[in-house]
Amino acid sequence: MVPLPNRSHLQLLTVIGRRLIEGLFTAWAAVTLTFFALRIAGGDPADNLLAQGLASAEQAQALRQQLGLDHPLGIQYLEFMRNLTRGDLGISLYTARPVGRVIGEQLPYTIALALSGLMIALALGFVFGALAAWRERTAEGRFAAAMSDLATALPVAFTGILILYLALMLSLAIGRPMAAPGLLLPAIVLGITSSGPIGRVVQAGLRESLNSEYILAARARGLPGGARLLWHAVRPALSPVISLIALEAAYLFSGTVVTETVFSRPGLGRLLVKSILEADFPIAQALVVLAALFYTTSHILADLAAIMLDPRQRRAG
Amino acid sequence: MKANYLRLLLLSTTLLVGACAPVQQTESSLNYGLTLSPSGLDPHLNASAELGIPLSSVYDTLVFRDPDTGEFVPGLADSWKISPDGLTYTFELRDDVHFHDGTPFNANAVRANIDYIVDPQNHSQKAVSMLGPLVEVVVLSEYRVSFQLSEPFAPLLDSLSQVYLGIASPSALEEWGPAEYQFHQIGTGPYRFIEYIPNDHILLERNPDYAWGPSIYHRQNAAIHQIEFRFYEFEATRSLALESGQIDIIGEVPFREAERLSDDSRFSLYPTPIPGQPMQFYFNTRVSPTDDPLVREALILAVDRERIVDTIFGATSPTASGPLSDVLFGPLLPNRLTAYDPNRAGALLDQAGWVDLDGDGIREKGGSKLALVLVTPTWGSNPQAAQLIDVSWEILGASVEVISAPAFGPLKEQQSNGEYNAIGLNFFGTDADLLRPSYSSSGLYNWSGIQDPDLDQLLNMAASEVHDPSLRASFYQSAIDRMERAFVVLPMRDYVDLVVARSDLIGLRFSLQGWFPFLIDLTFSS
Amino acid sequence: MRRNFTFSWAVVWLIGITVIALAAPLIAPYNPRLPVGAALSPAGDGTMLGTDGLGRDLLSRLMYGARYSLLSSLAATLITLSIGLTLGLLASGSVGFVDRMLLALANAGLAIPGLLLAMLFVAGIGPGLPTVILAVGLGGSPGFIRLARSIFKSLMQEGYVDAARALGAGRVRIALFHLLPNAMPQLVALATTHYAWAFLGTTTLTFLGLAGDPSLPEWGAMLDAGRTYLIQAPILSLLPGLLITLTVFAVHRAGLGLSTSSQPG
Repeated sequence: MVPLPNRSHLQLLTVIGRRLIEGLFTAWAAVTLTFFALRIAGGDPADNLLAQGLASAEQAQALRQQLGLDHPLGIQYLEFMRNLTRGDLGISLYTARPVGRVIGEQLPYTIALALSGLMIALALGFVFGALAAWRERTAEGRFAAAMSDLATALPVAFTGILILYLALMLSLAIGRPMAAPGLLLPAIVLGITSSGPIGRVVQAGLRESLNSEYILAARARGLPGGARLLWHAVRPALSPVISLIALEAAYLFSGTVVTETVFSRPGLGRLLVKSILEADFPIAQALVVLAALFYTTSHILADLAAIMLDPRQRRAG
Repeated sequence: MKANYLRLLLLSTTLLVGACAPVQQTESSLNYGLTLSPSGLDPHLNASAELGIPLSSVYDTLVFRDPDTGEFVPGLADSWKISPDGLTYTFELRDDVHFHDGTPFNANAVRANIDYIVDPQNHSQKAVSMLGPLVEVVVLSEYRVSFQLSEPFAPLLDSLSQVYLGIASPSALEEWGPAEYQFHQIGTGPYRFIEYIPNDHILLERNPDYAWGPSIYHRQNAAIHQIEFRFYEFEATRSLALESGQIDIIGEVPFREAERLSDDSRFSLYPTPIPGQPMQFYFNTRVSPTDDPLVREALILAVDRERIVDTIFGATSPTASGPLSDVLFGPLLPNRLTAYDPNRAGALLDQAGWVDLDGDGIREKGGSKLALVLVTPTWGSNPQAAQLIDVSWEILGASVEVISAPAFGPLKEQQSNGEYNAIGLNFFGTDADLLRPSYSSSGLYNWSGIQDPDLDQLLNMAASEVHDPSLRASFYQSAIDRMERAFVVLPMRDYVDLVVARSDLIGLRFSLQGWFPFLIDLTFSS
Repeated sequence: MRRNFTFSWAVVWLIGITVIALAAPLIAPYNPRLPVGAALSPAGDGTMLGTDGLGRDLLSRLMYGARYSLLSSLAATLITLSIGLTLGLLASGSVGFVDRMLLALANAGLAIPGLLLAMLFVAGIGPGLPTVILAVGLGGSPGFIRLARSIFKSLMQEGYVDAARALGAGRVRIALFHLLPNAMPQLVALATTHYAWAFLGTTTLTFLGLAGDPSLPEWGAMLDAGRTYLIQAPILSLLPGLLITLTVFAVHRAGLGLSTSSQPG
């Protein structure tokens, strides 16, 4: 790694500190937005329960007191934030189970899907991006670039159903198990649809560094192409990719919601759709809050990683 | 030397005999496909039918019902007596039963279960209402218990035969509490509950100690060692999961797939009718235009129910003939299927004053348009039926809005708003008293708003008629006749569960309720 | 040259489906909600593409689907444009506090993924197509505000803005008569790209069932409804899905083409 002169330590810390504070503020703002949006639009959860015949009038009143709904909205908000910092996400309106538990049960499935999807996306993105940059003016290069473009615009729902259909047909033809709760197919779908932006960024970054003076000079000196050269070219391209991984969190999120639905896979995405359709507000709210926090955190981490990896970024602050 | 030879002879003979003895079919497993993932798995607290598929084999009930004759047979209760005034049921319990956790089954256990169910903090969705006017359960001795009612309640025995009133281990109920118990269920049944991962799977294991099964079970003890239940919400994957061997049996297979699979020698189709209410839509009698009985009658006549049922379900499902299914309740139905008659429907609307004056295809009366709101649940093919009913009514000259409700909560919420003309809801069950909550004036599910004191009286008398079954039946016949004359419900089809299983799975039978297999009787033919 | 080729095809496609969308009530062979034959019947015998699970003509439903999908996402985009342009202009026109507040608000909105934000709104209000439209419109606003703001801000550096101010023009006048017209090419490109996002968002939400109406002839809803018959009649799902994909490609391409031509130099 590039050696660190002392004075830029302070710079680094300033930059990191600023990012963290900005991130915290954004996270807080997102959570607040969620709270008010749901409360104002959704009304009183106890009323909802009453309307749904799941609670008698006395039970609804008791619930209202228990949840603090008879306080003014501002106080409710403060209680909500206080509970949030304690890790208390409330209880599901339907099953009365703690929201944290319900989410915890579904979380591993979504994590498994998101991680495998991300790995496939990275693999595909790197392959196509590198090919597009490395063999820029050839047919393979153009094809690879087109693949990345294609992947960007592919809707997740259609891709999922198409792949599901192909898999169903394949399994009918050869009589072997496919479909239903596996991980492979949904991960492939998620990976393909998320790989587009990665491919573009890798392509752009690699192209730039491949043409940089350092590499040209190395090639002129007759250094062999191949792996070593690739590594030197790739390093500066890594930083935008890391940033991109944070942005990928967006694609991955909506991708998991749809993919889990298409493949009937358990997970947070399906939980979210279900909680919205059933108007189980505590769960919907908690999921949105978690997503916002996750987002903001990954953005911060990506920014920090970019700063670490690419010294040019440090001064940019 | 001779002694050694003798010993060797004895040893080899023993081995030979042992080798020829019938092999115990205990090491085997079954993969069972379920459909909807229920939001809660505790039968004492939750209402879904799906949970009963695994859980009816985890619990025993005080009494059981013979699936062929409907009569009550002893279960955990050896015998019972009902007092002449119908207010006291005394049960003599078996003394040789213990729970999966080793604790003994006795009268205290029965009481603990009822306490758990009626506790308002536990929010029981179904079991508590099945107990009706129960006042208290009295422990008379270690194996003798009585149920005290405030009024006679004929459906009680039927309720006590259902999985929702299955007897659980009191120590387990106490230890885990209402929220967590569903993950650690302990009963007395032929299968033990091993684990439940929501949306993923349920695991059951054979109970080797089971020795107190009712006479309706064909086997004393389960043969299949382990049963794993997985969820297949997406219909198209159900038949595929079967064909690829991922599962061995699944219900609610779409009818075209079921027909295709039954042609394949590897699979067998078990069409299982489900008694109770048919798929149906109630008319709201409190809101215009469905407050007018002429309009309601017209709306029923305008729907070609046979054709709709044929489109959606093929030949696998009979058109409904009344507010109850033909299976089990056929004798109560007046056997008068309202035939499709769109002309008469139009004439009735004309007579009621709804005419299309401005030629836009929609009828008007007194300045307002004939506008209908149809609320449909999203399960059980209700939406498809709703769409086709929508079309029928639009042809008749109404403008129709269809609203979907994805869960019972939102459905009830729509209903509470009161702004609907038709709403879909049905309950399954094996006692005709399930009509009462739907059709009595103060019934919890009286979503049609019908207010008929004579009907109320008939339904109440029927519910109290504990000792004379034919008198009880005649009350229901009169009641159903009144309901049909009021045109408050549009019945569509009698439920038939299309279950497909591997052909080498032997002994598959279902309980009277239709949904629940007797897992204990299943074996694989070798 | 290759780029122009795909660009032209994209435009042709878009014009084509727009015409179909607008003319659907006139040119569709049947009423999209009315059963016209046996369920799941193949093409021929009165229908060009066969019927769906309830016997309704697939071709008519696809035509009306164009109408619902295109127009719903257009409505959502218009909502985003109104909010985004107004607040973007406001942010760029003011310095310091107001600008930073709006920017912070936009950033907060961005912290939640657009789709999630939209789902949040549906969660609050309840399912329905108008809600989906509103939700997608609101969900896309934060990103648009930021982008619009930066376009305006960079334009404000241009000479003619200072000139106008020197001549005594008020801020509103500058905004309406100087900033907007000059930003037009970039804004059009931005709006087009955004339309692709809104189209995807709308069809995804209807796919998830948040539109409420089970017979809605809209491509996303049809993509979902067709899944039940995936083995027996795959085109019920695959055709609407393909149409959605091709339209998204086309809009993307069109947006790209517009933005390259709007870049100075």
